[in-house]
Amino acid sequence: MKHDSRKYVILTFFILIGAIYVLKLFYMQVVDDHWKLRSQQITEQRREITPPRAIVYDRNGKMVISNNTHYNLMVCEAELEDFDIQAFSELIGWTQEQIRKRFVEIRDGEGTYKNPHTGQIDSNYQRIRSYPFIKELTANEMSKIAPHLDRFKGFYELETSMRSYPFGNAANILGYLNEVNKDDLSKYPFYKAGDYMGRSGIERYYDSYFRGQKGVKYIVQSARNNQIGSFENGAYDTTAVQAPPIHLGLDAELQGYGEQLMANKKGCIVAIEPSTGEILALISAPSYDPNLLVGRRNISENYPGLKSDKNTPLFPRPLASQYMPGSTFKLIQSLVGMQEGVITANTGFACNKNVVGCHNHPSAQNVAQAVQMSCNPYFYAVTRRIIQQKKRKNPREDAAIGLGKWADYMYRFGLGKKLDTDITGLTSGLIPTPKYYDKWYGHHQWKFSTIQSISIGQGEVQLTPLQLANLAAIMANRGWYYTPHFVKSIGDTGPLKKYTKKNYTSIDASHFDAVIEGMRRCVHEEGGTARRARVEGYTVCGKTGTIENYIGSVKQKNHSAFICFAPMKQPEIAISVFVENAGDSGGTWAAPIASLMIEKYLNGEVKDTIKEQRILDAKLSIWK
Amino acid sequence: MRKSQSITNGVDWVLLGAVILLMALGVATVYSTAFDPEYPSIFDFSQVYGKQIVWISISLFLGILVFLIDSEIYRKFALPIFISSMLLLVIVLFMPAKNGARAWLGIGSLGIQPGEFAKIAAAILLARYLADFNQKLQTIRNVLLANTIILVPMALILLQPDAGTFVVFTSFLFVMYREGVTYDPLVLKAVNLLPGVKFKQTWVGVHFIPILFVVVFLSIATLLVSNETITVDMFPGTTFSGYWGVFVFLFIFSLVFFFVLRLLLSKRDKKRAIIIATIGFILAVSITKTVDFGFQKLAPHQKERIELFLGLTDNERAKDGVDYNRNRAITAVGSGGFSGKGYMNGVLANVRSNHVPESETDFIFCPFAEEWGFIGTSFLISLYLFILLRIVVVAERQRSTFNRVYAYSVAMILFYHFGINIGMSIEFAPVIGIPLPFFSYGGSSMMSFSIMMFILLKLDSQRKDVLN
Repeated sequence: MKHDSRKYVILTFFILIGAIYVLKLFYMQVVDDHWKLRSQQITEQRREITPPRAIVYDRNGKMVISNNTHYNLMVCEAELEDFDIQAFSELIGWTQEQIRKRFVEIRDGEGTYKNPHTGQIDSNYQRIRSYPFIKELTANEMSKIAPHLDRFKGFYELETSMRSYPFGNAANILGYLNEVNKDDLSKYPFYKAGDYMGRSGIERYYDSYFRGQKGVKYIVQSARNNQIGSFENGAYDTTAVQAPPIHLGLDAELQGYGEQLMANKKGCIVAIEPSTGEILALISAPSYDPNLLVGRRNISENYPGLKSDKNTPLFPRPLASQYMPGSTFKLIQSLVGMQEGVITANTGFACNKNVVGCHNHPSAQNVAQAVQMSCNPYFYAVTRRIIQQKKRKNPREDAAIGLGKWADYMYRFGLGKKLDTDITGLTSGLIPTPKYYDKWYGHHQWKFSTIQSISIGQGEVQLTPLQLANLAAIMANRGWYYTPHFVKSIGDTGPLKKYTKKNYTSIDASHFDAVIEGMRRCVHEEGGTARRARVEGYTVCGKTGTIENYIGSVKQKNHSAFICFAPMKQPEIAISVFVENAGDSGGTWAAPIASLMIEKYLNGEVKDTIKEQRILDAKLSIWK
Repeated sequence: MRKSQSITNGVDWVLLGAVILLMALGVATVYSTAFDPEYPSIFDFSQVYGKQIVWISISLFLGILVFLIDSEIYRKFALPIFISSMLLLVIVLFMPAKNGARAWLGIGSLGIQPGEFAKIAAAILLARYLADFNQKLQTIRNVLLANTIILVPMALILLQPDAGTFVVFTSFLFVMYREGVTYDPLVLKAVNLLPGVKFKQTWVGVHFIPILFVVVFLSIATLLVSNETITVDMFPGTTFSGYWGVFVFLFIFSLVFFFVLRLLLSKRDKKRAIIIATIGFILAVSITKTVDFGFQKLAPHQKERIELFLGLTDNERAKDGVDYNRNRAITAVGSGGFSGKGYMNGVLANVRSNHVPESETDFIFCPFAEEWGFIGTSFLISLYLFILLRIVVVAERQRSTFNRVYAYSVAMILFYHFGINIGMSIEFAPVIGIPLPFFSYGGSSMMSFSIMMFILLKLDSQRKDVLN
């Protein structure tokens, strides 16, 4: 027929379209992986299950941080159906305006991203995803809402876990959690928006140990976001694993007792087990109940008040506050003097009040007596010998060499530098170096008489109460210390490596006898400054400090300081106590507080109720 | 004239077998996509899979009826069949709308779509008209009259409106092309208006329909991919515009075309193969590049309008918004991989997850592609291609023009349905809701395609009775 060849045109079309389709399908199905990813994106929800954070125990196996179950009211916009905002507002007790605002807030909270294909700014919010509408409802609150939720499609409850502090103390040690922010999200891929992470204390320092392993559940979802099964029968699912419990060296009861004692006082108590470096108690006063900062509602209610409180309950005084050590510092001066060979245990100096003021006491014939009586002129003399060793003719050059040596000793005592303690917020204190004074007075423009107040722990020297307690531990150990630390063991792994290394002070153990004897006399001999530190049945070795301080040029009430350890043989506890503006001397307030802590720790209870009551009743310090 | 013989005599069993295989695959896919664990039996007639079996049974029964009727009646009563079909198309316009179109005639869920049957009526009348058509009298008037046969139902269907069926009616243009109906008089008239031009024949006018088809196909394909970006593993970090995809396709096909031409053409014409292939390639590239360039140069709001018409906006939000259906459908197909996710293991394209809408009807290619992967899809396309080619073979062996025209009509209608339905799941066609023949769930389409096919089989089985 005439147009027969035209059948080839039609056949070509058929074959061509068929071939093009097969090629295209080959490209789509076999070559291009993009659609498989897209398919997963649409159908598989990767549901992450965050395990509760690790539990924390104290040294006696008492739970210090536990977890409570709370509930989030979740909403998925795509699932909303005939949403009765009136009825819903009655159910949850919000106004309709608040409910609308919350929806906007959820959307805005997700942020935006720049779409690489179109260059437009799109919201990360997705209608098909679920977001918490109300967070952290208690079981009680949820029980009122949950039974009615089936009337509101798209809303459902979701369990979450939140921190709980059974003892309600040690807030400055344990720290608190807060929701992660944008920076955290980019820094720590573990966290997703809405997660909580440690913000202070050991919760922050050990954050990665608290997290555990997230579980992942792949769920195949329908277009309406209903779960229609698990992906490949859960072959890729993993269960959430809670991190192993963390054991602290802390004694929760001692901590609580210390906080009681420090009520109505500003200051700190730090107690360390000298043989291990474990921190037994670390009291910062005033403090707060850590339960106040659990969850978003509590934080928004309580945090601003705590933050603006002029008495700074959030400030971890034992770690960050820098005080002049006062007479407690004389212990180190005697040790350095003996180690440098500028004095011996039996060197005596007259109590020459022309140099510096002192109280009335007989002149010290040896180191032990000097410590016992806390003779200021004696330690002026000792320190002068340390600083001015007459290695140079020019006393100014000589002082620079002497102070340099002295400062090196101080570092070895863990002073003037941040201790490697497992907590954030530590400060270094201050140990003046030759460089430091050069800056103030000019190079070689100063000598001992310029800087003499460092002899008795006044002037430029500043220590944190933690460093001071560590000094007590060094005394107890006769010359070495383990870095003070909170965590005894993570799970069953035993002590952390960096806390099993002894730090030596380079002072011979033999030099300690005289000083420790002086400390014993301080407490147990007539004429000692710390007779209030006695604990029945134990030999306590202590040293008081009474720190003069000024605001501007106005003299304030003295700070009362005390460091000690007990028992004298095989010491079990080393303590520093610091009470701001207590008035009087170190022996008046700080010493009895320390003795009560020792009694509590060694005996488990306090029999000396008169002493206890006196402390509990005392309202000291300057309050704003 | 008719010898007494069994009604099954002369049946093209190959074609019938292929169609029944297609129906079986269709039911299996409907069962997989619509499976309800509470009604696990495939013969549960409350479920679409059970119903589909009923529809197939009815269709095969109708097929037997068709075989009992002498095929002569179609030729004889072509015009009455056509007119009653058009009447149904008019009546349906007064029926309540369903899914936005007044395409359904019937009560409740039971009903037929007269549009489906109008195709058969038009095919029969066109066959009758072209059989009587005097090739030598190809006036503009006669050509336009032939076109009227398809324009009337198209106009009525546009009123429903049903874009899919409307488009399918243009398939008859190819049937006319095959029979030598030419648009050259029209083109000549226009061309010869130019001063100094005096053509007797134009190539464009003679082959107007296939050229138009190629241009439309390339344009739509270009538009659909022009906003895409392609990344190639070999060149990490670089992205290519979607147009390069079209370009590579065109290049490959020109090469293939060239080799096929060399095989087909006579020795004398072999040298022309390279010229034809090159010209074809250059023309195709210029057309697509022009479309792509023009589209990119459009003002944003115009662009958006075209994108909306094509059911396409390349916007992240659109994926879950206006472009939801297409995106889900393509994803389901693409995620099938080489060997698929396994029968009944699809996650996107089924009624339970409902990510891909209409996965048992218009988007039924998606569950099939998702579950059987490239192995399945290439097989399915081959099966359709086999049926189409078989119908061409059947068509070409007819003695009568009537039979041939009818056969080509069936082939072209199937081709359109196949091309558009699968095309819309693989980014080659805009989303137009038309069923996949013998495969999609639905009574009207199953019955109308079956009747259409069985008439063809009947005509073919009686081809030797016809002297003409």
